[in-house]
Amino acid sequence: MKSVFYLLESAPYGSERAYGILNAAAVCVKMDVTVGLYADGVYLALACQDSRSLQVPNLYDIIYAYPEITVLAHEPSLAERGLLSMALMERVELVDEEQFIEHIRAAECLIYI
Amino acid sequence: MPSASVVVNEIKSITIILTDGPYISEYAEMACKIASEALKISHVNIFLYLDAVHIARRGQQPSLFAEAGRLFQELAERGAVIRACARCAAARGYLADGEGICPDYYEGIKISSLYDLARMIEESDRVISLSG
Repeated sequence: MKSVFYLLESAPYGSERAYGILNAAAVCVKMDVTVGLYADGVYLALACQDSRSLQVPNLYDIIYAYPEITVLAHEPSLAERGLLSMALMERVELVDEEQFIEHIRAAECLIYI
Repeated sequence: MPSASVVVNEIKSITIILTDGPYISEYAEMACKIASEALKISHVNIFLYLDAVHIARRGQQPSLFAEAGRLFQELAERGAVIRACARCAAARGYLADGEGICPDYYEGIKISSLYDLARMIEESDRVISLSG
């Protein structure tokens, strides 16, 4: 495999999934690695996350620590949640439904965690 | 158009990624069935991630299901490479020695770095993730 697409559809701090996906993506940077944020996963795209009161790692920091990882946010999911007017991380690329699926199809493997 | 057998013969290595515990879903059992068939034609890696690190624990006594740990041990005996994420395992109380051997785990299943997952993916022709 030369490319991996990790699909995240869970909210970033409600479970270990988002943290798990980012860690798995971080070790795959020798390949072409993409994290696609879909459904509740798009909450990870929001800027200025502060997880100190939760006593868990700030996932925002992990994304900025690995510029090799392409991060896509599914724009319709953001719109459905009323998040389009919110500030998003600069690292995140907004893509529509068709583009999101095209990225999945282009990757050699899709990993859903 | 190649025949199905030609396509199958081209699969030299597959990796299965699990994230659920052994009984919360059927994924552990499904992974066993897939791996069991795949071992007949290819190399098989299984990576236990997040709650899936519980699958390898010795001494499970499910009353209604096949014991997942024993099924995975059998796969390891047949040559499957089964590894569990060290961070996830430590968080759940499974600690390994320097060679990745954990006394709480069935023989043949080791605890290793997440970098092993990257290597498995990179070297595989197919990757299957089974996750809730």
